[in-house]
Parts: sequence; C-alpha cells; structure tokens
Amino acid sequence: MIHFENVGMRYGMGSEVLKDISFNLKPGSLHFLTGPSGAGKTSLLKLMYLAHRPSRGKITMFREDVGAAARTDLPRLRRRIGVVFQDFRLLDHLTAVENVALPLWIAGGKGAEIEEHVEELLTWVGLEGRMKSRPPTLSGGEKQRVAIARAVIKRPDILLADEPTGNVDPAIAKRIMHLFVELNKLGTTTVIATHDMGLVKKVKANRMHLSDGKLHMIQAGEDAPEPQDTDFDPSKFEIRRLDQNEFGPKTYTSIGDGENEA
Amino acid sequence: MTKAVHFLPDEKSHEATRLLPYVMAVMVYLSALALMGSMMLHKGFGDWTESLSNRLTVQITTLDPEQREVQVNQVIDRLRKTPGIDYVRKLNQVEIEELLEPWLGEGNVTSDLPVPDILDVTVSRTLQLDLDALRGMLTRISENIYLDDHQQWLGRFLRLMDMVEYTALGILLLVVMATVCIVIFGTKAGMAENRETIAVMHHLGAQDGMIARAFQDRFMAYGLKGGVIGLLLAFVTLVSLIYLSRDLASGLVKVPEFPVTQVAILLVIPLFAAFISLATARITVLRDLGRMV
Repeated sequence: MIHFENVGMRYGMGSEVLKDISFNLKPGSLHFLTGPSGAGKTSLLKLMYLAHRPSRGKITMFREDVGAAARTDLPRLRRRIGVVFQDFRLLDHLTAVENVALPLWIAGGKGAEIEEHVEELLTWVGLEGRMKSRPPTLSGGEKQRVAIARAVIKRPDILLADEPTGNVDPAIAKRIMHLFVELNKLGTTTVIATHDMGLVKKVKANRMHLSDGKLHMIQAGEDAPEPQDTDFDPSKFEIRRLDQNEFGPKTYTSIGDGENEA
Repeated sequence: MTKAVHFLPDEKSHEATRLLPYVMAVMVYLSALALMGSMMLHKGFGDWTESLSNRLTVQITTLDPEQREVQVNQVIDRLRKTPGIDYVRKLNQVEIEELLEPWLGEGNVTSDLPVPDILDVTVSRTLQLDLDALRGMLTRISENIYLDDHQQWLGRFLRLMDMVEYTALGILLLVVMATVCIVIFGTKAGMAENRETIAVMHHLGAQDGMIARAFQDRFMAYGLKGGVIGLLLAFVTLVSLIYLSRDLASGLVKVPEFPVTQVAILLVIPLFAAFISLATARITVLRDLGRMV
C-alpha cells in the first residue's frame, strides 16, 4: 500500500530531516509512528499525505510512483487518504457538519445523503449536540473529534493521524482508538503518530520509530525505545535537597527593631 | 465542469475584497464613458464629414453690387450646366447673418458690412468633378470668385477626429488593463486571506479547478455587480452632459447625438467586466495553486 525506498527529504536548502527511509506498509496494516519531537514524524506524514515530494528516493502508493506522478493525478490519490492533522486544520467559518462533509463534497456527493451520513458519524464521536457549532466555539477535544470524523468519513484506504488522542480524555481516546481499529479491520491502512506510550502498549500494532531522521521498524511486542519529547536526559542531572547550612543561618526580626534581615 | 463547493467564507467577512465591486463600478463607469464618448464622437464626426464631403462653397466678393449680381447669375448658370453638380443655391441674407452671428454677435451684422454672396453647391456622389477645371472656369468670370471644397480643413479635421477616437480607445484599453490588475490584486488578497482554507481543500483532494471555481464565481459576481452600478452611473452622467450641452450649443457646433441603436454594445460592458474578473481570478488562482505540490 505504501512503499518508501531510500527516501530523503529536506525543506528548501536545509539539511535532511528524513534520511534513507525505507519501509513497506501492507494493505490493512496498523502502525504507530513514534519518536521524539523534531525526529521527523510530521515530515514523514507529509510525504505520506502527498503534501511534499521527497528530495530523493522513491515513494509508491496505491501502486503508483507518486514522485513521478503528474500534479493533476495527485488529488485523486489524496482523496483515498484520510488525515487527522495535529492542529486539526478545521475551517472556522464552516459548522462541524460542513467541515466533516468536505471530503464528500469534494468527491461530488449529494447534500441529503451527506448530511445524514455526517450526522451519524458526529453522533458516534459524541458530538451530537455540536453539529451546527463552528470550530472557534468548540473545545480542543471537540475539534479533534471533528477532525477525526472528517478524516474517516469517506472510509479512506489510508488513514494518517498526527497525535489523534492528544487533546481528549481517556474515555474519548479509547473510543477514537476503537474507531481506528475498526476502520483498520475493514481494510484501512492506518498510521498513528503519537507520544502516548500507554496507547501504544494497549493496541497490538507495529511501530515505526523515528530518531534523528532515521526510521526503525519495530514489530508488535518487541522492546523499543520510549518516545521522548526532547534530548533532555534526566539521569544526567543530580537533584538533591540543599542543607540549610549551605545558605547560612537565617534570622528574622520584626520591622521597627532597627535591624535588617541577616 | 467541476461541481461548485461553497467552502469560502461569506464575502461580507472579507475585508480586502468586499470593496472590489465598488472599484469595479468606477472602472466600468470610466470604460463606459470612454466607449460612449468614442461612439458619440465617431457618429458626430461622421455626420459632419458626411454633410461636407459632397458640398462646395462659392464666394463672390466683388464690391460693386450690380457687377456682383451679374457674376452671381453667371456662376449659377455655369455651375448648373456643369456635369457632376446636382444643385446650386444662393444663400439669402438671413442665412448669411445666421452664419456670421456666432462670430460677430446677434444684431451686429449690419447692411454696411461687406458680406460676400455665397453659393451652396451640392456635388454628385456618382460623378467625379474636376475641381481645378471648375476653379479655372470661375476665375475666368472674375478674380473675386473663390471656390472652397473644404478639403484643406476637412483633412485636418479628419486627422483630429482619428486622434480623438484613438485617444478614447486608448483610455478604454488603459482602464481595462487597470481593471485586470485590480482583479489580480483582489484575487491574491482573497487567496492570502483564505490560504489555510485553500491548503485544507488541497490536502483533502480538491482539484485546482474546484478551488479556482469558488474564487472565479465570487469575482465574477463582483464584476457583474460593479459593472451594472458603473454602467447606470455612466448613463446618468451622459444624459446629464447631453442635456447641459444642448443648452450651451450654438450654431457653430452641433451636439453629437447618442447612437441609440448601438446601446446594446454598452449593455455588454457589465458582462465583459464579469468575464474579465472571472478569467483573471481563475488564471491567478490556478497559477498560484500550480506552485503547490
């Protein structure tokens, strides 16, 4: 379904943010994409949702070389991919229903059946009372659920989610993961970028671990490095309680005694 | 044709583009005035040259009234017998005074003023007249007889006419170019305001044509709205100008009439403005989208 071969990517003339990435995701597989912040998770997802072309290497999706595909062919391929953006990317002037309906409108769907379908999904993600609300009036978690609904409404062949449970409470997170797993069972190839190791441990799935622009494929159940937000290593820092003597004796006197703090 | 998806924010919320219809109205107003002015001048000049192109004027300036009377009759007789001349008529005193009044003022044409006798000659359109031979024949009657075929000043007049018409068309062209530039700026401003919306639609798989159509439809509506307002204002201005100029008109200048039969051309202006807006917006959006992956 998705095949990367020695793919490198850089922004402009900068250094490579992804180096020699090679992997093959089978149709209907489920993967977590982990790695510290700045490791290149979002860049890898951008390549997969065709927002960028690789600087080198070859990407094959749906058996088509997307690096060599004509620009006019890319929208057709994009319509087969559902994306949950980390910053949601909802259109503030549209209602929740309209935001979720966008992929169906783009695909040429008709009004009545779209609305029914969208409302059903929004109800399922717990937004039955927020159908006509616009994103600026929604909470972070609600926006995230709208974004997820928009990504899955068209039953995409590939679902890419960037931190999809980052802003929701555990119950909703569980529900969303259940949705992803169900979609995956129906044949949707799913890649979920996350920092939530609890989530990773709960679901049996392969891991794609990015570190310093390089990818390590880890089979489900194997030990692997924990994702870290930064290169900060707490073990290198000593935290100890300071003795009062290190500051010297402290004597306080009342104001007006004519003496200052010692 | 791609299905229209109304994904852009309400046009009333657009700070940068909401004034565009009014700018378009001004552009269409100027275009309509330039075009109407050009059409009126064309018709007016055409009428003037038409009325003069087959006319000759003969002046007999002999001072002695009796001798002049004889020469006038002789000239009329000769001219009427000349092939290629359809009609000869001597202007009466009232007509001559009407011609002089714009220059000398009403009531200032007195009987002691040495005014020549004037013959109005209509030349055949089908036969070629030898003007040199005619001039020679008149000179043989008297040295004080002058033939004016108006060609000397008519030539200059025609050149002026051409220049004025080309200037009007040049103004029209400049206004059209300015309109295109304004629509480009407006489209780019609209795209900048909706950059995120465009990016989302793009990532969701919208074809460039679908995104472009949303913009072109909006800008076409701006062009049409501005076009109708501008044209109405231009009509009001033109009617006012014609009304005022009729009051000011003297015998010297005939106010050009508006060619009513050509009014349909003007009705096309708002459609043209809408088309320019549509095409410019579409090309601009497609070019910008072409830079995205």
